[in-house]
Amino acid sequence: MKPRTPPDDLDEYLCGDSELSRQYRREPSPAPPPALDRQVLRASQAANSRTPNLAPLALAASVLLSLAVIPAFVFGPQPEQRAADAPRLLRVAAQAGAAANTPLDRKLRLYSSDPPHARPPAVWLTDIQALRRAGRNREADAEFQRFQSAYPDYSSGELPVTR
Amino acid sequence: MLRPMESLDADAGLMARYRDGDAAAFATLYARHKGPLYRYLLRQVRSAGVAADLFQEVWSRLVATRGRYEPRAKFATYLFHIAHNCTIDFFRRDLMRRADPADAQSAEPEVPEYQRPDGVAEFLEQQSALLAALGALPREQREAFLLHEETGLTIEEIARITDVGLETAKSRLRYAIRKLKKALQPAQTHARPLRPRTV
Repeated sequence: MKPRTPPDDLDEYLCGDSELSRQYRREPSPAPPPALDRQVLRASQAANSRTPNLAPLALAASVLLSLAVIPAFVFGPQPEQRAADAPRLLRVAAQAGAAANTPLDRKLRLYSSDPPHARPPAVWLTDIQALRRAGRNREADAEFQRFQSAYPDYSSGELPVTR
Repeated sequence: MLRPMESLDADAGLMARYRDGDAAAFATLYARHKGPLYRYLLRQVRSAGVAADLFQEVWSRLVATRGRYEPRAKFATYLFHIAHNCTIDFFRRDLMRRADPADAQSAEPEVPEYQRPDGVAEFLEQQSALLAALGALPREQREAFLLHEETGLTIEEIARITDVGLETAKSRLRYAIRKLKKALQPAQTHARPLRPRTV
C-alpha cells in the first residue's frame, strides 16, 4: 500500500485567504507612534531641502562628456595611423648599473629604432660611450655603426666609443 | 496588508518622484508602508524600543540612498530589503553584546519585555496564541511569514529580500506555516472569539 502524501500546507496557504492568514489579519495592528511619524517625515523633508538632487546634473555632465569623446573616436586617427604614431622606442640601457655609470649624470637615451639624425651626434656618442662602460659592447657596436652611417664625416675624437 | 500588484507602479513612481525632489511623494509612500514595516520589525525583534529605532534607521537609509534608487522591482522589495539588512545588523550586534561578559553583567535581566511593567501595554498582543507561536518560530521562518503576510510579496521576492535561494525561502515559509498551524490547533478548540481587526 502506497503511503499517502500529506497535502502541502504551503500551496494551500499561498492560494490566499487561508485560515492562518485570516487569523493573522484579525490580530491587532500596531502602528508607529505619532512622534516617530513626525520624526521620519521631518528627516525626509530636511534631507530633500539640504542636498539638491544631483541626478540631472550628473546626466548633463555625462552627455557633455559623451559629446566631447565621441568625435575623438570618430574623427581621430585611424588604427593604422595610431600604430604609426606609437613611439618607436626600444630602451636598451634600462639596467641600473648602466645608469649609474653614465658620465653625464643622466639616464641613458639609447633607442636603436630612433630615426637617423634624431639625436645630435655628441649626445649619440656619449650614449654609445655609456653602453661601453656598462659592458654592453654588442649594442654599442651596433649603435656606432648606425651613428657612422648617419654622420659619416663626424669625428668621434677621443671618446672611447670603439673597442 | 498591502496589495502590491495594485500599488507597484504607483509606489515605484512615488519613490522616483521623491528622489527627484518631491517631498510630498515621500509622505504618501510613508503612509502606505509604515504599518507593515513597523509590524514586521516589531514582531521580528519583539521590543517596541528596538523596533522604533530600526524603523527610523530603515527610513533614514532609504532617504540617504534615494539618489541611487532605480525602479527595477516593487518598491516594497526595495524597502524590506533595507529592513532585512537593518534587522540582521541588529541581531549581530545583539549577539556580540550578549557574548561580551562586561556587557552581560550590566545588561538588564532576561525578563520578557511583556512581563515588565513598562512593556505590558505594548505587548498585550503577545497574549494571542498566534503571535506567541509566531514569536517562538526561528527568526528566518518568522521573517518569511511576516514578509508574506504584511506585504503580500511572492516567494521569489521574499527570497530576493532575504538573500537566499528560492527553495530555501519556500522551505522557511513551509515550516513556519506548519508550526503555526500546529501551535494553533489546541488553542483554537478553546479560543475565545477573536476581535475584528481595527483599521
